[in-house]
Amino acid sequence: MDSAAAIAALRATLLQSGYVAERGLAVTMLMMESLGRPLLVEGDPGVGKTEIAKALARAKNTRLIRLQCYEGLDTYNALYEWNFQRQLLAIKRAEAVGPAATLPDDELFSEKYLLKRPLLEALTQAAPPVLLIDEIDRADAAFEAFLLELLSDYQLSIPELGTITATSIPFVVLTSNGTRDLSDALRRRCLYHFLDYPSFEKELAILRTRVPNIPARLAGQVVEFVQSLRRFDLKKKPGIAETLDWAASLLGLGLSALQDASAEQIADSLATLLKTREDCLAIDQPTIGRLMAAAG
Amino acid sequence: MNNTPDALFAKITGFVATMRENGFAVGITESEDALHVAERLGVLSHTALRDGWRGLLCARAEEWHRFDDLFDSYWRRPNRQKALETRTGGGSTVEHGGAQQSGGKAGPVLQHGPDAAGAAGDSTAKEGASAAKTLGTADFRTLTDPDQTRAIEAVIRHFARRLQRLKTRREHADKAGRRLDMRRTFRRAVGAGGATAQLHFRAPRRVRPRIILLLDVSRSMSLYSFFYLRVARALAAELTDIHVFLYHTHLTHVSDALADPDPWRAQERLAMLSAGWAGGTRIGECLAAFNRQFAARLVHARTAVIIASDGYDTGEPGVLGRELRALAGRARRILWINPLRAVPGYTPAARGMREALPHLDVFAPGHDLASLDAALTGLMAAL
Repeated sequence: MDSAAAIAALRATLLQSGYVAERGLAVTMLMMESLGRPLLVEGDPGVGKTEIAKALARAKNTRLIRLQCYEGLDTYNALYEWNFQRQLLAIKRAEAVGPAATLPDDELFSEKYLLKRPLLEALTQAAPPVLLIDEIDRADAAFEAFLLELLSDYQLSIPELGTITATSIPFVVLTSNGTRDLSDALRRRCLYHFLDYPSFEKELAILRTRVPNIPARLAGQVVEFVQSLRRFDLKKKPGIAETLDWAASLLGLGLSALQDASAEQIADSLATLLKTREDCLAIDQPTIGRLMAAAG
Repeated sequence: MNNTPDALFAKITGFVATMRENGFAVGITESEDALHVAERLGVLSHTALRDGWRGLLCARAEEWHRFDDLFDSYWRRPNRQKALETRTGGGSTVEHGGAQQSGGKAGPVLQHGPDAAGAAGDSTAKEGASAAKTLGTADFRTLTDPDQTRAIEAVIRHFARRLQRLKTRREHADKAGRRLDMRRTFRRAVGAGGATAQLHFRAPRRVRPRIILLLDVSRSMSLYSFFYLRVARALAAELTDIHVFLYHTHLTHVSDALADPDPWRAQERLAMLSAGWAGGTRIGECLAAFNRQFAARLVHARTAVIIASDGYDTGEPGVLGRELRALAGRARRILWINPLRAVPGYTPAARGMREALPHLDVFAPGHDLASLDAALTGLMAAL
């Protein structure tokens, strides 16, 4: 297929699955497939990093396997673990039946007794799944190094079973919030996409896609309001998730335009946008009034 | 690429090389993949190629934002660039490779020679001038003077040895651990025919706290600046996870220069970084800069921040307190070393010091080696 057509087709599929992708992101996703590299997505919280993986899974009509990283994450929780309890039970049962020979160790260390954690799960799928490694920066550097090895060879070895090679190369999406700087080696291995706060048009498109029953006027006002709110020096800028929440809460109040709401209703519903005490204090009544007037 | 004409091949690999010279971490594999991308997307589609290569060649946000300017400066003919500029009002001639050329928001773009590659990423170059900045740089020749450093090194070595390790949530095998290591126990039992001969345990891994030094090198601290810098150098030699910053009117990261094994080169690098040495102090602004640029990356729950300053802040009131509170929220402990505290009858009356005090875990004098030793001991007790 012609590349321009391929890009357009991918964007259309993503849109159908509820994700508004910029052209650049669509191109990068296309490259993911032809280069076989993982995709590293960075950006502020709430701009839709995790959503990329979900949309990709829906667009490719495949499974999404998610590994949520956290500080103490080790290989046993990420890769595999033997099911000791089950192995013990099997041994005891074999002992009760007769001589130990009835339970060959090949069987004891077979897949039946293997607990697959996300990474192993992703390597052993028949059809290539989407593997989402969420917030990789929360895991420590040692885990990152291990991951690098896994992502370059797509194989891992289990001492009792031998080497397991991926039956299909998964689409790997890594996300990072920048709690810790990632190593250059991992960055080099990956394609990179920086997800910024969306433009007015993009955010409006997202809002219309995700909240289809929102009146056009309210949608425009909500997006304008949030866009100008982001220009303030806030501790925690509202992301797209917050915009969607706010729109949903305004819709829940049965409004069709911002002007219909009382000042109290607006102030209360702003809890979905402003998430720290300082930000709530910084955006006072007069500021809200000004922002609303600007939003039209 | 058999079907890519030679000239185009050279041009594309040249582009990857240019990116490398501009500080992008790209190598042969990226060159190959860049050709793959070109083949897949077609070389005639300008926008698609830009998007495809951006994803491939960038590895961090800062590179992401610089990419477009570099792309334009390489692929667009100089006369096209000029035409664009004239249309937007600028009429000056564009010289290829000149410092002024294509100076978009990414700053000067390097086209020739890897030797100047550091300039674009140099943090001091971006800072801009400040009103109270001095032009003089300090003389760093005494930094590695053996007589002066020996005593410091002894104290620091003593400190590093006693620096206790903090618990992490990751576990490792440990005979004295509390949690049964099922995996290891079972594997070792295989050799004994399945009989569990010995139990194995796990315990949380412990790591040393990360240490961040923020050294005030303004004029009021000039008596002590070198002393603290020597301490920093000794600490950097003993501990691995340590990050040193100097500040006066702006903040400079000097860990790399300090850790340079060659003492002469370390001195030269420091001298280059120290523009503004012994000028005014804006502690609040410098802390704000630290919080914005480095804190997210460097400061975690096992970080001890050591600030050496007399607390004479000429910046705006309130900034220091606010920024220090933000930092205290991230870091495990904050230690403030104030050499003036040793003066009899000293009260923390300076505005900066008053603002800082509520957020400090340890506030100690540190005018000489003995008191510094005591301060570090206090920090260890507080960790």
